[in-house]
Amino acid sequence: MDKLLLRFLLSVVSVFSKRDVDFDRLKIITETKILMDRRRVRVTYNKKDKDPKNPLLITLVVYAFFGLMMGAMIFFTESLLLSMIFFHAYLLFMMAMTLITDFSAVLLDTTDNQIILPRPVNSKTVFLAKLIHILVYLLQFTIALAIFPLIAIFITHGAAAGLPAFFTVLLTVCLAVFFTYLLYILILRFGNEQKVKDIIGYFQIFMTLLFTVGYQLLPRLIDFEEIVRTFSLHWYSYFLPPVWMALTIESFKTVQFDAIHFLMIACAVFVPVITFWVMIKYLAPSFSRKLSLLQNDQQSTPEVKFQGKKQRSLSSRLSAVLCYSALEKAGYELVWKITGRDKGFKMQFYPSIGYILVFVFITVFRSGRNFQETIDTLPDSKLFLWMIYIPMFSVSSSKSLVNYYENFQAAWVYQSTPIKYPGQIISGSLKALLTKFFLPAYLLLFLYSYYTWGPAIIDDFVFGFFNNMIIFFLLEVLSLHNLPFSQQQNLKMQSGRFVKVFLQIIIISALVGLHYLALRISWLIAVLIPVAAIGAWFFHNKVSSFRWKDMTV
Amino acid sequence: MSIITISGLKKQYSGNYVLKGIDLSIDAGQIVGYIGPNGAGKSTTIKILSGILSDFEGDVTVLGMNVRENPIEIKQKIGYIPEQAALYEVLTPIEYLRFVGKLYQLGDDEINTKSNELLRIFDLAPKADLRMNGFSKGMKQKVLLISGLMHNPEIIFLDEPLSGLDANAVILVKEILSQLKRAGKTIFYSSHIMDVVEKISDRIIIIDKGTVIADGSFEYLQQQASRGSLENIFTALTGGSEQHEHTAQEFIDVLKS
Repeated sequence: MDKLLLRFLLSVVSVFSKRDVDFDRLKIITETKILMDRRRVRVTYNKKDKDPKNPLLITLVVYAFFGLMMGAMIFFTESLLLSMIFFHAYLLFMMAMTLITDFSAVLLDTTDNQIILPRPVNSKTVFLAKLIHILVYLLQFTIALAIFPLIAIFITHGAAAGLPAFFTVLLTVCLAVFFTYLLYILILRFGNEQKVKDIIGYFQIFMTLLFTVGYQLLPRLIDFEEIVRTFSLHWYSYFLPPVWMALTIESFKTVQFDAIHFLMIACAVFVPVITFWVMIKYLAPSFSRKLSLLQNDQQSTPEVKFQGKKQRSLSSRLSAVLCYSALEKAGYELVWKITGRDKGFKMQFYPSIGYILVFVFITVFRSGRNFQETIDTLPDSKLFLWMIYIPMFSVSSSKSLVNYYENFQAAWVYQSTPIKYPGQIISGSLKALLTKFFLPAYLLLFLYSYYTWGPAIIDDFVFGFFNNMIIFFLLEVLSLHNLPFSQQQNLKMQSGRFVKVFLQIIIISALVGLHYLALRISWLIAVLIPVAAIGAWFFHNKVSSFRWKDMTV
Repeated sequence: MSIITISGLKKQYSGNYVLKGIDLSIDAGQIVGYIGPNGAGKSTTIKILSGILSDFEGDVTVLGMNVRENPIEIKQKIGYIPEQAALYEVLTPIEYLRFVGKLYQLGDDEINTKSNELLRIFDLAPKADLRMNGFSKGMKQKVLLISGLMHNPEIIFLDEPLSGLDANAVILVKEILSQLKRAGKTIFYSSHIMDVVEKISDRIIIIDKGTVIADGSFEYLQQQASRGSLENIFTALTGGSEQHEHTAQEFIDVLKS
């Protein structure tokens, strides 16, 4: 699709702009940029799965699938106004999020300065190449997101709604571009290029979370039928762009041009056009200026004032309490720090954390029953068992993720230093994962369970805590042993995944089964707590005693 | 007294021998320059001596200990600095040095004092709390040098230690190596920068295609090869001078065509 769009735009350029534009160079620059776009890894597909030749195509297919769902919603929703509000809100949100997370690679790309500017290409050609690149980029995402909904509008509501919808889609995209620029400029005003990249990183993680968790959770939380039944516009609704677009379409479809519809049409047309003009005239040049200024400033690494002896970090203080050897502490602190800074890890793992919520909703607050009724009957149930063991389902995936790292070559340091028991580094890293990711989730679920079931569940959570430790360390004992951040991320990490998940299910099921059976005898849990604690200690020691011969190097 | 002995050292990768039988004996307190063309086997030798590679043929002892049998004990007493500045770049220099210090089982106070002081000496103190992903190659190389020396090793193995360093840092590292030698340390290092090897080495070993082709002091090699600089000696011994001239001419001819 990108090639077709490029061909179309280049033919338009060749007709309208003949002077001062070096067409051959324009063509090769835009073609190369689009080729690079195709190869850039994106947010919506999971990097760990495999390394596809065209990640862009996968993203577009995923977006088209979302569009198909939206099309189905339009098809089955009677109210044109409501379905159009949903559609434009979806389009605005998806487009803005895509631009924020992905467009930065285009906007913040300064390689042009190093690669193209030193070559004999005039500035008009460079400018046009950038413009065409951005247009191809925007159009293909717009088509992927909106093609099916537009078809659904034409089929369900006819051309009278379909034609204006075609224009409102373009206007919505203009708004999304404006919001993206505005956000970048705001961040740049208060931070630097690194800050922009950091914040974009957080948006990317949020997007990943949304894709993986949102589609599971939202249908369970939102009662769509209720919304349709009780839908009405309030005074503040008229400030929202999706409402302008929807009312515009409605006024053309139903031929209503009263004051409010007229005002809404004016907003729908003029706000995006004016904001787009403001963006081209003021925001984009100011953005480029600010960016190039910042980059010139950052030619040398920014200096920070040396403050002498510093306070110990949280990870260092925790490792001093939780780890017994220098090697364990080293593993603990390394994993704690890198898991907080490596975007690759965060993007792959944070959705798993989000899945704790999904699992809790699926298992405890099951769909299909009245929500309030479920809440009321919870104290009589034993469903707190799920609260105890669900976090481990999610957190255990972090164990294998920390083995892989983009800059895995840095692991040479393990080989060159006098490490007799590399298992101590692994046990330190497992403790870091437990305290950083498992414990907070576990404590939150404990607090909720305490609120619902009362103090009777305290011993269950203590027993469960040690059981979870057994699971975590036992899984390490049973799988291949790798040092943290020492493996290249490739297809190999997928091998044995099924076996691992299967093992995990068996181990967790056995312990949950044991816990469930123990609930029948009131004193048994208290007796089992020290047994589980000894078990956890045993498996911890087992992991820390791994020698080089046990490792997978 | 020999601090490193190598006899009949061979090493193969997938049936291809990169070291074809090396015999060496190195005395304590020497600076040994180990030079050779790309792929000659320099890095492999250093990795074997550092206890990183254990699947080799022959016998190697370092500090009187067998490398194959006592790699941990040897690693505790040597420092290894690789050619590639591969670091966990999302960490700050202080965090990275703390990590490596703990792998050497140094105490917290010792790690903190040494890291801060050594970073200050290398002009990195103002950047001690910045993540290294924005660092230049030279800055990373300095952190790497500190990480390999902070435990005060008896023998130091350096694989291209000057790669990426600026002129001032090169002079500083040369001076540090000389002073380490004066402090009784043994230094075994490979480099492509011939004039540095020529100036600071007590002994120069030239390796080509997995075998030692020359071994001795600079003066001795000069005498043997009847050439002026180490670069000339090296080129003559590795058979490069005519080849280089021919390749350069060919390159120019293609440009002109």
